[in-house]
Amino acid sequence: MTSFILRRAGMGAVLVFLVLTLIFSAIRLIPGDPVELLLSSGNTSASPEVVEQMREQLGLNGSLPVQYWNFLTGILTGDLGESIRTGDAVSESIAQRLPRTLELVIFATVISMLVGIPLGAWAAARGGFVDSAATVLTSLGVALPVYVLGTLLILVFSLTLGWLPAGGFTTWQQNPGRHFQLLILPAIALSLGFTAIIARMTRSAVLETMGQDWVRTATAFGHGPLKVFRRHVLRNSLTPVTTVIGLGFGTLLGSTVLVERVFNYPGLSSLLVESVSNRDYAVVQGIVIIIALLFILINIVVDIVYGLLDPRVRQ
Amino acid sequence: MAAASVLALSACAGGGGTESSGAGTESLRFGISNEPANLITGVDQGTVGNTMMTLIHRGLMSYDKEGKVIAGLAESVEMTDPITYTFKLRPNLTFHDGSPVTANNVKASLEYYANKANGSTLFVGLQDIKSVEVKDDHSGVIHLSGPNSAFLEYLAIPTAAIVPDKSLAKDIPNQIGAGPYTLKEHNRGVNLVLDKFDQYYAADQVKLPGIDMSFYSDGSARTNALLGGDVDIIDYVPWPDYDRVSGTSGMTLDAQSGPLQFIQFNVTKGPFADAKVRQAVAYALNRENAVEAAFQGHGEPLAGVKIPEDNPAYDPANTGLFGYDVSKAKALLAEAGYPDGFEAKMLTTSQYTFLQDTALSAQADLSAIGIKVTLDAPDWSTRVAKGNSGDYDLAVAGGAGIVADPTYIKGLVSGPNSFLRSFGYDNPALNAKLDEGLRATDDAAKKAAYNDALKIMQTDVPYAPINTREQAFAFNSKVSGFKNLPGFLSFYSGYSFADISLSE
Repeated sequence: MTSFILRRAGMGAVLVFLVLTLIFSAIRLIPGDPVELLLSSGNTSASPEVVEQMREQLGLNGSLPVQYWNFLTGILTGDLGESIRTGDAVSESIAQRLPRTLELVIFATVISMLVGIPLGAWAAARGGFVDSAATVLTSLGVALPVYVLGTLLILVFSLTLGWLPAGGFTTWQQNPGRHFQLLILPAIALSLGFTAIIARMTRSAVLETMGQDWVRTATAFGHGPLKVFRRHVLRNSLTPVTTVIGLGFGTLLGSTVLVERVFNYPGLSSLLVESVSNRDYAVVQGIVIIIALLFILINIVVDIVYGLLDPRVRQ
Repeated sequence: MAAASVLALSACAGGGGTESSGAGTESLRFGISNEPANLITGVDQGTVGNTMMTLIHRGLMSYDKEGKVIAGLAESVEMTDPITYTFKLRPNLTFHDGSPVTANNVKASLEYYANKANGSTLFVGLQDIKSVEVKDDHSGVIHLSGPNSAFLEYLAIPTAAIVPDKSLAKDIPNQIGAGPYTLKEHNRGVNLVLDKFDQYYAADQVKLPGIDMSFYSDGSARTNALLGGDVDIIDYVPWPDYDRVSGTSGMTLDAQSGPLQFIQFNVTKGPFADAKVRQAVAYALNRENAVEAAFQGHGEPLAGVKIPEDNPAYDPANTGLFGYDVSKAKALLAEAGYPDGFEAKMLTTSQYTFLQDTALSAQADLSAIGIKVTLDAPDWSTRVAKGNSGDYDLAVAGGAGIVADPTYIKGLVSGPNSFLRSFGYDNPALNAKLDEGLRATDDAAKKAAYNDALKIMQTDVPYAPINTREQAFAFNSKVSGFKNLPGFLSFYSGYSFADISLSE
């Protein structure tokens, strides 16, 4: 088992290095110059000499291999650099934004599990109309783009009913009530697709488990249908569901961008998109690295859990 | 020899402000279209940068609600002769850090802006400053190297703020001003909190105790925030939302026709190096269509050059330099040697819908005269880079002058290559006429010079105008006293925030 974990961690490290190299080159390969953009966002453009001067100041004039080396050594010492636009340390910006996105994603994941697992289990157990209805609903959930859903939620709950704010952000310290209010609609918008995936996974896993011999045996022992379902079916069905939740959580981290945009939620993804637009190299690199690290970490954890559950995976 | 005219500006603070002087207790909640980057002294950083400047800073001059230049930090500015301006500061002016505003600050700031090496936006307008002579703490004399009929306007634009000497560097955030509001806190990605500055020269007329500026970079989110009651006022209302906002009871939409949309040419290669081909493009554009397609009708076709009607250079004849005339366009193309048209690449951007839609409209117009246009629509950063390096045949652009005076045309037709101008375009005869217009010391000479300049533009077509677009603010019924400034000055409407009061 130890060697399995070490092997998995080693592969993770190689992956991290690949991601670092890829993001460093990708952001520099696309056209667009951060300094030109910074100095000419209005109706005037900066003179070439001033742009040059500022590039020098920001350390963007060194050759690419030198910049790459500085970047790698910076990472090893935990220094992600500074934003070109704001001068803020990238690590600080991430430390500020990541918890917001994590909070949103965790909230959405909890909603998805609380709704998705019972819905899938119910559909599989009851079959018939319930199953068909659940299938239609979950198809809709997977297909409905999150920005359409988000806009609909705003239209209904903010503009028409006036129950919740249309978007924005307040810190927990400033106003806990409003902080929570502002989290509800984006979390619901984000959770719908994920709920549908969990429900479908649960449904097929439950259906598969219900056909197993031990279920028939348990029934033959005279256990009631509810007890059989709870103890022998649902519990055994949750292994694949756990995997899906782990992976889905990682995916959500990188894909909250549309929700953050629609609800004007200042999380990590919106910072990433803004930074790509502004070619704020250090910020883009820093965020991608953190998301990649988290994703790889979650994958390793899922693999290890899987390995614990199923010895065949370890070979 | 032109008679030395005297221009004295009364020391009244900002227009309006006649309501009761009782200060409110509630801050204005302002949904602004982007998060401002750190302010760089003297640099135009776009819409939100200008708005920030108008709230925090003041220059010698300012604008009133009608877009007239009025006194700012200066009590008076007198033009003793066309190249000499004497200024007198208001008494007891203070920067936000408590230090006094003196004539030495005026000298240091203006000379900084007039120096090309500092990368100031104002260099174009203030490069004529030869020296600023300090007479005492509160007055001084500005000596110009030549007459400049737009000089006072340049002193009024937000980036011309008088700042403490320590802000005169590119890497120090330009946050300390002498304007009506001070920067209290900046929560990155969320909001900026401004407090009223009690030592502002017209503080008794500023009713808001503060402003909470929340960032809404998405247009629909911004509109929703206003309609949902999360904010009181928003800037940059998206054109598709105009009807939704003005159709909601209690909401006011304040739109002003402002910036220009036009087509740029790469004149260094291919067919567009020929002025006849550029003329053909100018005649082929269906401007009404473009206004509908890109701005849902919220703009005006522009077939000439926009000059404010109250400017001496205004001449109604110049609003229609190019008609919409497909057969004339075809004839011009044939004359230029392209009877069957040709293929060309048009640069636009997918990041801003209105620029993409303008390009689609132009693409259809040009195909009607045989120019087969393929669109190149990268993100905005790439659009800027390609524009700067001339990687296009045609490009769709939007822009505005930094002043309303027609001298803004210089920025569109001359200077080093930039994404704001047709690549490689330079016409010494045109530049000379535009210079003449700026230097003119009487109205008739100014008008004559600009008329000549526009005639050259009619045949040489440095860019093909399409339309002006509206810029709008929208606010709820609690807000009063705000006014969107006319024309290009709409981007400086933040000046009017000093006059806003909120009913509670």
